[in-house]
Amino acid sequence: MVGETAGTFSPVLLMFAFAIVATGPALILSRMIAPRKTPSPVKFLPMESGQVPKEEGRTHFMMQYYSYVLMFVVFDVMSIFLYAWGSSLLGLPKTATLPIIAFLGVMFAAFAYALYQAGRKNIW
Amino acid sequence: MSTIAPQFRLSRFIASLFDIIFWVLLIFSLVGLPIVFIILFYIKLPIINGQLMTPYLALTWIADPSQTVPIIKSLIHTTFFHVVAFPGFGFAALLSAATIYVERKFLAKIQLRVGPLYCGRIEGILQLMGDGLKLISKEIIIPAKADKPIFWIGPLLFVGTAGAFVSLIPVAPGWVVANPTVSLLAVFATIGFFPIISVLTAWAANNKWTFIGGLRALHQMIAFEIPLILSLLSVVILTGTLNLSQIVQSQQHYWWIVFAPISAIVFFICILAELERIPFDLPEAESEIVAGWLTEFSGMMYGLIQLGTYLKLYAFAGLFTVLFLGGWNGPMVWPPLSPELITHGITIGPVNVQIAGLPLFSQPMLNGTLMFVIKTVGVILLILLPRGVFPRIRIDMLLHTGWYKLIGLAFVNIFIALGLLYAGVLGPGGLIQ
Repeated sequence: MVGETAGTFSPVLLMFAFAIVATGPALILSRMIAPRKTPSPVKFLPMESGQVPKEEGRTHFMMQYYSYVLMFVVFDVMSIFLYAWGSSLLGLPKTATLPIIAFLGVMFAAFAYALYQAGRKNIW
Repeated sequence: MSTIAPQFRLSRFIASLFDIIFWVLLIFSLVGLPIVFIILFYIKLPIINGQLMTPYLALTWIADPSQTVPIIKSLIHTTFFHVVAFPGFGFAALLSAATIYVERKFLAKIQLRVGPLYCGRIEGILQLMGDGLKLISKEIIIPAKADKPIFWIGPLLFVGTAGAFVSLIPVAPGWVVANPTVSLLAVFATIGFFPIISVLTAWAANNKWTFIGGLRALHQMIAFEIPLILSLLSVVILTGTLNLSQIVQSQQHYWWIVFAPISAIVFFICILAELERIPFDLPEAESEIVAGWLTEFSGMMYGLIQLGTYLKLYAFAGLFTVLFLGGWNGPMVWPPLSPELITHGITIGPVNVQIAGLPLFSQPMLNGTLMFVIKTVGVILLILLPRGVFPRIRIDMLLHTGWYKLIGLAFVNIFIALGLLYAGVLGPGGLIQ
């Protein structure tokens, strides 16, 4: 039973593997026929629009939008919970919607608070 | 003065030829044949016309063209054919390649340019092939301090994930590569891999531009994943299923864009953002960060990323068609194919063409594919259109749009769907069946 359910997903993996197998030879072919001339160290420097690159490329970089990332962690899970409810809605009694509405209310309150915090950019 | 080496002797040459033939035969019979039979042992041979299809029988039938039809018919219903050719990679790659050409001509016409013109004489129709040859013959340069294994497999992973996404899109009744009962959730799971690949390759390249571009891609895809998921919830509420094929079957009489127009608009905007297309192409903004997370890709690696992007574009357009525009449903315009075509051929006026086994596919499948392709091409053109018209927006505006407005609009349509269901308009026993 479990194996059958997992087996229905196996063509997805097959397709993933086939796409790699079908396009991978292009890289190998390119490596074989493309010219590889004059190995100078300048050629292998990182591209920085003509400047001589300084320091590491992997630096600390502040994106300043942490609140959105935190919200994502919460609301991605929440939306999948809603799917469990939405896909079985036709078989449920109508009273079963009330707890979900209450859940949505709690969630909207938290969401509004998080968005309010996201708007206050000076605290991040 | 001969060009033959001075030590050359014909007898030795012939002896070496025999030597090579001997070793080839020996290795083939000791290694090759056992491998063939071990593989044949594990392959489940099909039964066609009441006969077990052994390799001898298959070769016998192939030798007789009038008996080849059942073999081809059994072949086109295997998973292998589905993955390689029709609803899978070959079909999607063909449509993607056509999209690249159409995009260039279409945008050129919008902006009063000409676009590709010379390659292939007729309106530059071979431009794509020329570009492919150019890319494959260019040197692949990898930065010295890059994380080489991850940098190499990044484009391959991108194409592979796009292929996995394509495999979940149903094209015609029964014609889908993978059909799990929760295929919509599988779509969400597949979409979730794209930002990871972007950030991995961006980090591996050891370049400031790629790093900034990768972080932007991460933020953008994350911000638009929630409204994307929520906008499809109204369709799921109305159909009560997570299977994409069943969602298409539920739209036989009316399309869900009629009852969930706000969801469709939200989903369309999210498609633009997930595909990193203008006006949401911040991760690849040329005028700000060179080429974003694609900066260090050169030659065929860049070509593979482009192929993956256009496969993803086809898959998203197909998903929009399947969920909101009725998928393969439509008027039956394909002419019926009678079984006598196999024996009598086609008669058009005075000409009689005898082609054995022409109706390999059934009429609903051909008509469904035609309808699906027409709708999908329409959606693809709509996705391409903003690139010729709109400027790029700022990242804080983008995040604000994603998190405030689109999520709110998605919830509006969820409540509309709930209202339609509970007011008895839709659903089992509703006014509109």
